[in-house]
Amino acid sequence: MAGTITTVREHEGDLVVESADVVAEDVVALTLVDPDGDALPPWTPGAHVDLILEDGLVRQYSLCSDPADSRVIRVGVLKAPDSRGGSKFVHERITKGSTVRVRGPRNHFPLVASPRYIFIGGGIGITPMLPMIAEAEATGADWHLYYGGRSRASMGFLDELAKYGDKVTLVPQDEAGILDLATILGDPRDDTKVYVCGPEGLLGAVEAKCGAEWPAGSLHLERFAAKEIEAPAEGERSFELELAATGITITVPPDRSIFDVCQDAGISVMGSCHEGICGTCEQVVLEGEVDHRDSVLSESEKAANDAMMICVSRCKSDRLVLDL
Amino acid sequence: MSRRHTTAVPTDCWYAVAPSSAVGRSLLAVRALDRPVVLYRRSEGGVVALEDRCAHRAYPLSAGTLVGDDVRCGLCGFVYDADGQCIAVPTQPNVPFGAHVASYPVQESDGIVWAWFGEPGRARLHRVPTLPWLADAGWATVGGEREVAAGYLLLHENFADVTQVPFVAPDISPVVLASPPPLDVVVTETTVALHREFPPAPLPDWQAQLLGASSSDEYATAQDAFFLSPAVWVDHWDVTAPDGGVARLRFTQLVTPTGPGRSRVAWAVSRDFAVDDEAAGSLCATLFDDYYARVFRAMETAQGVLDTDGPGPEVNVAADVAALKVRDIVLGMLAEESPGAAPVPTSNAPRITTRRARV
Repeated sequence: MAGTITTVREHEGDLVVESADVVAEDVVALTLVDPDGDALPPWTPGAHVDLILEDGLVRQYSLCSDPADSRVIRVGVLKAPDSRGGSKFVHERITKGSTVRVRGPRNHFPLVASPRYIFIGGGIGITPMLPMIAEAEATGADWHLYYGGRSRASMGFLDELAKYGDKVTLVPQDEAGILDLATILGDPRDDTKVYVCGPEGLLGAVEAKCGAEWPAGSLHLERFAAKEIEAPAEGERSFELELAATGITITVPPDRSIFDVCQDAGISVMGSCHEGICGTCEQVVLEGEVDHRDSVLSESEKAANDAMMICVSRCKSDRLVLDL
Repeated sequence: MSRRHTTAVPTDCWYAVAPSSAVGRSLLAVRALDRPVVLYRRSEGGVVALEDRCAHRAYPLSAGTLVGDDVRCGLCGFVYDADGQCIAVPTQPNVPFGAHVASYPVQESDGIVWAWFGEPGRARLHRVPTLPWLADAGWATVGGEREVAAGYLLLHENFADVTQVPFVAPDISPVVLASPPPLDVVVTETTVALHREFPPAPLPDWQAQLLGASSSDEYATAQDAFFLSPAVWVDHWDVTAPDGGVARLRFTQLVTPTGPGRSRVAWAVSRDFAVDDEAAGSLCATLFDDYYARVFRAMETAQGVLDTDGPGPEVNVAADVAALKVRDIVLGMLAEESPGAAPVPTSNAPRITTRRARV
């Protein structure tokens, strides 16, 4: 079977926790190193890794160290009150000296070149902003960071942000209220990129504001929780799936994902979150009308109908052809 | 993700511009990323890379003179310091305001001079790949350099597919390549790695000769290949003898785009066995000079098809996944450097999607 000849997967390795530092209320920063001191894979600002915590518990965390440092990576983890188990596990079970399985890095939130940036970090969403502002500063770009949180004590990395002076505006909610998006985003400009990461309420508000007033392509955001997906009222349907490069056609039944049936057929596909948020399983679409259900692609990218996340998205037509 | 070929060159990458040994207290002209570059060493030893064209008139600075740590144009006498600033002109006391040539960040490691042609501020944030075997006394290295009329991406896609070797160079191809075992592809944000394990088999003549093996001895081979950046492809080729001893070969390919559809490739073959054996060294040098010449001729032929008839639809097989991942990484780099400047799709080519720069 052709699919058994080539396997493709993401880089994965066991790293050791060199330090686990509490950097704010309920926020721990893990500094991870290779146990043999080997160089870690290169990455760029906006990249994240999976921490594979125990069977079935995989969580994405943005890298918030220096990409030039090949020795360590660092992630910041908020102990979420509504934790599905990931952050609770990190806070309770991982300490200095622990071994953690790490997959990646991958980057679906890259910092594109621009003369001006507005960075908006909400709570733990500050983490990808740290290497981003370091790069913006290094290139001499005109940038400003707005960092909102519940209270000053809940906001991590303030010591590292102090050196940027008035380029950083701290907005602790108990002192200054919530981030004033009307003002922050009140001057739509086509020479400015807006980067935002944080809770869904913030992301939704920034999306609405930028979608209505800013030039297309200005807004870049990262989501670490899936948007609500409504299943069709009439129930899921099956469709034919043709894998053009492999040269086979298989049926996707109503209760299986495209990812699942590819794996069943021995086709090597990469996947990670299985919720349509990490972007790992993206495939190129050659034919068929895609029913997009992910939180990764933008509306215009969905409309282009040339790429899809096969872990959650399906097909509206009877036949789908992938370049796989 | 995309499946489309591109000829655009990412600039946010360290490219090899010369071996360290070639850069000294004289002016060396090289070409990289479609621009002229002059290299020299300061008296304290650090390497300088400047735009090799006087700001006054079209004339290469490399045709001038090194004066202390400064360069004097051989045509008009303008003098530039090691930062590229014009500091003296012969015909007037004041220096024309803002007169300068571009100065490129430089690093030197493993006997190679690397230069950065992207936004200078970003240079520090990117690492130069480490290639320790090139500078380690436990290894012997032969190598050469060729100008190739083929784009850097075509070359990387070729390096990604070792199964082409039996067709390009049947006489030296290991017999095991004729029926390649399963290929394991491992990707990160910026790199692609391949791994294959070949079962024990007799070696091709050249390899048996290098190792002093008999034609009936069976050796197992492990291949690991790495796309480390648009500038570097490395192959590890480790053979295990029947007695368990391992002989290691490292193939280093430094790819520097020099112009549209043109590249300079510095190749090096390093071995950790027969290190002091001159006959082994000259066998490797002759054999691989010829091998790379054939590979690059094939790539020039492929580039010729693209130049004449343009990119067309391509059929991919599963083993192409490594080459396609390389394309994805390169296209992602380009999208980050020049958002909105994604190449316009041609009518019969698959459409590009620039999802990495997402809204």
